[in-house]
Amino acid sequence: MTRLLRLSAVLTIVALALMVWSMLAPTPMPVMVAMTVGQGLGTLAFALYLFVIVRDLREHWRADRVEQITVDIPALAEGPRIDDGPPS
Amino acid sequence: MHLDPFIALALATTGIAVVLLVWFLIKRPTLTRNTKLVLLFGIGILPVMTAANGNVAGYHAMKTRTFCGSCHVMTPYKDDSADPNSLGLAARHGRNEAFGAENCYTCHADYGMFGTITTKLGGLRHVYEYTLNFHQLTLEEAIPKIHIRKPFPNSTCIRCHSTQNPLWMKIGEHASTLVETRAGTLSCASAGCHGAAHPFSHDIHERAKLGAK
Repeated sequence: MTRLLRLSAVLTIVALALMVWSMLAPTPMPVMVAMTVGQGLGTLAFALYLFVIVRDLREHWRADRVEQITVDIPALAEGPRIDDGPPS
Repeated sequence: MHLDPFIALALATTGIAVVLLVWFLIKRPTLTRNTKLVLLFGIGILPVMTAANGNVAGYHAMKTRTFCGSCHVMTPYKDDSADPNSLGLAARHGRNEAFGAENCYTCHADYGMFGTITTKLGGLRHVYEYTLNFHQLTLEEAIPKIHIRKPFPNSTCIRCHSTQNPLWMKIGEHASTLVETRAGTLSCASAGCHGAAHPFSHDIHERAKLGAK
């Protein structure tokens, strides 16, 4: 995951370099490259970042749920309590 | 030196983003909540601000005469319209502050609700034509082949010269051709009226036509 984030950081730097090039040398080619390749790379980099973050969050949630279930199992092993009513 | 504020903002956000990203790449910190926040700024928020400001700066730059003249085949057109001694229509309008350094765009941009979009699409066509057909030609070879795609519309002139001004109507030729001028069937830039906007290219085209015959 860290490797993906590093790739995303490098892509962002390349995208920013293309955008800055178009601002410092505003001729047709740099402007077009910045608005297509530059912004495309920037979008890809941000998508990679979001992918990593969402995956990381899902793993955390999953770990939390597993922990909750293992905590609940001893409680279930005790069997139904009296105030739960008769078994159907 | 005048710096476009959009460029200044874009450079500032780029600088901060690059510092954050280089820090991440060199220091290789563990992926804590704070690192993720730093990366959200470095990869997300700041580059989006750079792109937004860069786009506006790009649109401003695309309107300038320097931008239009940056392809070598447009250089004589740019030079003519910036020439303080030229009596061509383009140069006379270029000397007007309302047109100024954006005189190419002001006259050649399409009018109407979607004018900006159609103008940009036309600009992309120029890039396509230049890259594939004109890039390798010398000026002498290229100029006779460069033609305006559709006749220059009078509606562009009428944006400023309304055809309703009493002084304008006092001129005999204006009064007698009013209907044709408004309908666009007689071009303001035709020979005998105000003449070609870029007289030098008109002469070259005329010579090329005679040579072809």
